[in-house]
Amino acid sequence: MILHPSTIALIASSLLICIMTLYAAWYGVRIVFQWNIKSGSEKQVLLERRTYFTATIVKYFLVIQIASLFLLVYTADSIHTLFAGTMCAVGTFDVNRFGFPTVLLKLLTSILAGLWLIIDHADNSGFDYPLIRIKYGFLIFLAPIIVAENVLQWAYFSGLHPDIITSCCGSLFSPGGKGAAAEIAGLPVTPTLIVFFTALALTIGNGFLFILRARAGALFAALSGLTGAFSFVAIISALSVYIYELPSHHCPFCILQAEYHYIGYLLYGTILIGLICGVGVGILAPFRKIPSLTITLPIFRKHLAEAAVAAFVVLAITGIVVIAGSHYHL
Amino acid sequence: MSKTIERQLHLVDFTIGSVLRRKGKNAALLLVYTLVVFALASVLFFTRALRTQAASVLKNAPEIIVQRTLTGRYQFIPVRYADSIKNIRGIIAIKPRLWGYYYDGGFGANYTLIASGVDSLKPGTIAIGIAIAKLRKLQIGDIVPFTGSDGNPQTFTIAKILSDESALVSADLVVITEADYRALSGIPAGYATDLVLTVRNPREYSTIAEKISRLLPDTRPIVKTEILRTYDAVFSWRAGIMLLVLAGAVLAFFIFSFDKATGLSAEERKEIGVLKAIGWETSDVLAMKFWEGIALSLTAFFLGTILGYAHVFLGGGLFFAPILKGWSTLYPSFVLTPHINFGDIIALFFLSVVPYTVSTITPAWRVATIDPDSVMR
Amino acid sequence: MINIQNVSKVFNAGRPNEFTALSSISLEIHLQEATILKGPSGSGKTTLLSLIGCMARPTSGRIFVNEKEITSLPERFLTRIRRGTFGFIFQRFNLLRGFSALENVMAPAYPTGEKYSLLKRRALDLLAMLDLDHKQGAKSEWLSGGEAQRVAIARALIHDPAIIIADEPTAHLDAKLSAEFLSIMEILKKEGKTLIIASHDPLIYDSTLTGRIVEIHGGELAHGGTIA
Repeated sequence: MILHPSTIALIASSLLICIMTLYAAWYGVRIVFQWNIKSGSEKQVLLERRTYFTATIVKYFLVIQIASLFLLVYTADSIHTLFAGTMCAVGTFDVNRFGFPTVLLKLLTSILAGLWLIIDHADNSGFDYPLIRIKYGFLIFLAPIIVAENVLQWAYFSGLHPDIITSCCGSLFSPGGKGAAAEIAGLPVTPTLIVFFTALALTIGNGFLFILRARAGALFAALSGLTGAFSFVAIISALSVYIYELPSHHCPFCILQAEYHYIGYLLYGTILIGLICGVGVGILAPFRKIPSLTITLPIFRKHLAEAAVAAFVVLAITGIVVIAGSHYHL
Repeated sequence: MSKTIERQLHLVDFTIGSVLRRKGKNAALLLVYTLVVFALASVLFFTRALRTQAASVLKNAPEIIVQRTLTGRYQFIPVRYADSIKNIRGIIAIKPRLWGYYYDGGFGANYTLIASGVDSLKPGTIAIGIAIAKLRKLQIGDIVPFTGSDGNPQTFTIAKILSDESALVSADLVVITEADYRALSGIPAGYATDLVLTVRNPREYSTIAEKISRLLPDTRPIVKTEILRTYDAVFSWRAGIMLLVLAGAVLAFFIFSFDKATGLSAEERKEIGVLKAIGWETSDVLAMKFWEGIALSLTAFFLGTILGYAHVFLGGGLFFAPILKGWSTLYPSFVLTPHINFGDIIALFFLSVVPYTVSTITPAWRVATIDPDSVMR
Repeated sequence: MINIQNVSKVFNAGRPNEFTALSSISLEIHLQEATILKGPSGSGKTTLLSLIGCMARPTSGRIFVNEKEITSLPERFLTRIRRGTFGFIFQRFNLLRGFSALENVMAPAYPTGEKYSLLKRRALDLLAMLDLDHKQGAKSEWLSGGEAQRVAIARALIHDPAIIIADEPTAHLDAKLSAEFLSIMEILKKEGKTLIIASHDPLIYDSTLTGRIVEIHGGELAHGGTIA
């Protein structure tokens, strides 16, 4: 185990927020089974009060989890010097088989927390808590994933020993290698970019259709999810080449560094916002017909779509600027 | 959207007024909070500075050092070994180095003696590092005795005291001529302590090291990057140990802030009761508590970080230095170059603000859910 | 109109200290009228007020405000209805200490996100109407009894509510201030506001203000059954 300040910070804060989320999920169980909005009993009033508690915890969880994702990448990057064979965070994550899964789970739990908060907001706008059981069922589902992420993170850090020879992004993300990372990096640049920008255009167009005419919301959600996911692929295989101005450099983490003007934060940030808000539109679609939500839900979904479209527009513009401003030309 | 912003502005305004009216209680919390941030920041800044300093010093260290071993232990290396490896592709230069340790019983200190390759040093004279000069109160022109390997004393005149700037590496150094050193240490001619290599391409370190081991099986090549890694690991490890020690303090702080947040005075409780009665929702009170936490956290974080910076870079880290640097009687008094790493600031945030914030969630919720009609009963 | 159907309120249900504050109350409160809830302390007046005023939820029964059922509304909706419909004047005024008179009057509206300048204007107008504009900056602790009373009334009016609820408003006032209070209430009634006042002060229920008296005793209506 590497006793590095950042690893201590990550483990401690992850543990803390995990405990709090489990505490919240525990109340979720009670809410799912004992909720009765019609009742005026003190028990019911207490349960209603608890909903504020759980919502607060998930809000903090989302913020801390996203911040810890960036801290994790930052830490991995700064301790890469301890491992032979690597030049950046990729190598640090590749030291044992828990590294990348930890990153992916942190990302996944962040997205799920964002979606939970969207459902929570919709639920609060209805005067009879129409989505209460669905919401807390979701939280109970989310809880073990969060625990798993903590366990993986702990396993990853305890398995970090200096002197383990690991791979560098040059070999992991190179077209010649094996494994998922190499597959992604090996995608040809131009076709990937064409797919990327086309997907963005379709999603944005669909978004406008939904905003202006309230049509094809579920399609928009699906497109947002797919475009968001594909954007990660596009960054690794195509955009990175333009940012690093090197055909063999496909590292997904180096773009978060100062020398590349922290462009990674903008790219990943917009993808996350677009993905969460866009998918949120779809998640809320089944609840359109609920009486208490008929007025507020369409407005909320419209706002979500607007946020997602704005994020994807910024992403597209960033992509274009990156390519146009790069000294690398195919 | 503007309504949301306006609402938050109103709540922030109210919160600031509310916080300022309870200066006493908030001051105590702020003090403890700042101290915690200060302690953590000091550890992080100090170790980061040491790591950076070590790295910059080691920049000029030899890229590969070849040592000879017998039964796993060190022994002198024949200078002619250089001929065996000089043809390895990638090696630009090979130089023998002659150096060793010397234990000064009278002062309980270990010096490093190194044979100078420079002609400027006259036989019978030495140059000493600044820590040795301080320890033994020596000046240029003084005469110093050393005991040779044969038990007989040899004296040397101090010709020069090494500069302050190089103190991190030269503080305990004694530079001596080759002939004098061989006489003092007993190392026979034709042998050196080790060989230092200059290499053209850093990527070839491991390949070259491998070839050397094959050509000269009784040697051990040490690559500079490995040394750097070791230093880095040690400093990080020491920082980690200190942080674990401070974990006790952070935990105490967590309990303290939880207690302060829970133990609201009857007056505070009444005030929130009134707010609920006149039309504030639970989420409004929660928002107010959130801003309270932010105001406190930002102030403590800012103050603690600045004080930590001052402590480490202006005050030389006087509270923590002994644990973090190691132990020895010979210390360079170097001024650490101010250097802040963004990742350290984030780690600091996670170690201080996150525990504080989490400790306030339950108490804030409890008070925010006070019944609106509580003031009427 | 406020319609209360078969409402009960039980505290600490299922525990040894279980206490029934109200039992099976059915009542209609008419608008633009002054209704006085009369009864000794502990009779449940305050509890009934808090139920009428959307501050608490009944243990059983139903409550309608202007034909809209509010019985099971979540707190945030209840609060919004309460903010827009009711203005409260408490027994001991309950002004916020350390804040000025003006800030006290504006405080209920902070969470609505209303533009500060508009809110301030309205608050100042209310204070002026009650002859308090010269005291707008005074800290609430330094106001005299009468001034505090008027600030409390101004605060209750900040959202221009249709209904004013007062809980034992004259319990801690001398005769002069009580009379002052009554006269302000008369003005509000003339403006078309509904008044619901809980009081066992004869000055109130014997005054010309009173439209209807509802007697409560031991958590039940004195005359039993529904009062139309």
